[in-house]
Amino acid sequence: MGLLMNLTVNGLATGMLIFLLAAGLTLIFGLMSVLNFAHGGLFAWGAFSGVFFYGITGSFIISVVGAILTGIVLGFITEKLIIKPVYGNHVQQILITLGFMLVLSEMLKVVFGPNQIAAKTPDYLSGSWEVGGVILIKYRLFIILIGIIVFAIVQFILKRTKIGLIVRAGVINKEMVQALGIDINKVFLYVFMAGAALAALAGALMAPYSGVVYAEMGLEFAILAFIVVVIGGMGSFPGSLLAAILVGLAGSYMAYFVPSLSLAVNMILMAVVLIFRPQGLFTAKEA
Amino acid sequence: MISKLQGKNFWLIILAAVLAAFPFFSDSRTMTILLTQIFIFAILAMSYDILLGYTGIVSFGHAMFFGVGAYTTAVILDRMEPTLGMFILSVGAGMLIAGILSFIAGLLTLRLKSHFYAMFTLALSGLFLVAAEKWRTVTNGNDGFTFRAPELFQDRTMFYLAALGCLVLVYLILSRFVASPMGRVLIAVRENEQRTASLGYKTLHYKVTASVVAGVFASLAGSLYSVSLRFVNTSVMTMDITLDALLMTIIGGVGTLIGPILGATVIEFAQHYLSGLARDYPIFERWIIFFGIVYILAVIFFPQGIVGWFRQIRAKRLGKREAAIRAKQPVLKAKAEENG
Repeated sequence: MGLLMNLTVNGLATGMLIFLLAAGLTLIFGLMSVLNFAHGGLFAWGAFSGVFFYGITGSFIISVVGAILTGIVLGFITEKLIIKPVYGNHVQQILITLGFMLVLSEMLKVVFGPNQIAAKTPDYLSGSWEVGGVILIKYRLFIILIGIIVFAIVQFILKRTKIGLIVRAGVINKEMVQALGIDINKVFLYVFMAGAALAALAGALMAPYSGVVYAEMGLEFAILAFIVVVIGGMGSFPGSLLAAILVGLAGSYMAYFVPSLSLAVNMILMAVVLIFRPQGLFTAKEA
Repeated sequence: MISKLQGKNFWLIILAAVLAAFPFFSDSRTMTILLTQIFIFAILAMSYDILLGYTGIVSFGHAMFFGVGAYTTAVILDRMEPTLGMFILSVGAGMLIAGILSFIAGLLTLRLKSHFYAMFTLALSGLFLVAAEKWRTVTNGNDGFTFRAPELFQDRTMFYLAALGCLVLVYLILSRFVASPMGRVLIAVRENEQRTASLGYKTLHYKVTASVVAGVFASLAGSLYSVSLRFVNTSVMTMDITLDALLMTIIGGVGTLIGPILGATVIEFAQHYLSGLARDYPIFERWIIFFGIVYILAVIFFPQGIVGWFRQIRAKRLGKREAAIRAKQPVLKAKAEENG
């Protein structure tokens, strides 16, 4: 029982981190059909700047805020310099965002050095609680909590505010939104920056969770986020949460029971979805 | 036939002959090894261009096919006798496995938007990289293992000639392939998939075939690569290999076969000299940043690569309408939103 509980908490925590990454990806894709391969780079920058700010200020909250700001700034730069020149051209977009991913992760090595850096958990989040004989690690519960809060906030914005309405409408039919006189490009810029901020937040939260940050972590996590986006359905925000939890839990159980299959299980999930429901499990629009 | 020989092919034959004679006139070991490397990566980049340049499909998993070839050859030569026959057998086995893999990847994702193939191959090659690291009994993980090359290839010059021979052979096969009716349909798919489909072509079949052809020749390049090093480790499966193929194709010129060869030459020479510079100037250790920036700029401003650039210059100089038409090389063009 305790074991299952622990594995579940583990899986949920990982799932929430993947969700933060996939949420931005899926909305960016839904709005402009841009598949941002540089998203993992933004994630890694979030992780490194989180560690950096924690090192100089000693405050975990400031480090997370710093990471989010880094994400917003990088998101702005990415959209303006990298995505904008190749709007509407899928092949070029895919190629150029991957190139930017390369530059982002190499820049990390220039700025922070090529070696991996240890990341510390703040005192008030380290340690664990014991509830009825089950040991729960505080930091993992904290990640799950943050994930739920972010989901609630974004869901509120999407469902209850005007900009959310525009975003949802844009995901379903971009041309119609434009025809109604709304500058979809500007909306897209905001969504892109918000997505970058979420990716950076995920990075900053990931750093103490894994204990180290390294430049290649961006690509590793981006692959999981892509799998989640495919399973959840491109453009579906709730889908990305459910798929991320699915991937997180599957990974966590498999890592314990059948370790050799832990990565393959996500690929198998993705392949099954691609065969039977290529538009994704919770799709917002046709693939 | 004779008139054809006087054109481009004539110069290519001369070039191949000069390259074949090179090791007998020069005894620069470094240069022989560097050129061998260029031949191998030119094969990889050409195979990549079948997908990217001719069919308009982006793959981020080319390293997987390269790695499959490299490991198949290395494992077979290591476990069996390192003879020439075994080498040929291992190349065939690698190509077969890569073909099946690319067939499955293509079948699963190519009926969807172009993003899916890119994502799926990226994820699948990630899986293969982890598998290569974890399956230590066969691959010995990140440490890799050394093996004996066939006796014939112990001699650098012989291997140089073999790699050159493979390059010429692959070039001939692929240029026949892209000029065939099959290849023409692939170009049509690149230009406008919906229209091709409405003309009655089953575009999925053609795209899957392109995927298989690309995978098979990438595996051949991998086999040659591992024999050239007589060593294999997980680096053959990493993203770097895919990026190399991408850079070579884009910088050389997409949608041509000469382009990737040129690109491989430029990138390999640049890598060689920049990593030499890194000894004096540490900033060059991160030379990949320069490549990344050049690559981004190339995608935005220079999407036709070196070959496209030359064609433009020629078109301008001739000022002829005919040459201008020939220079039109609308690759990397947006494929209109497929299926909405």
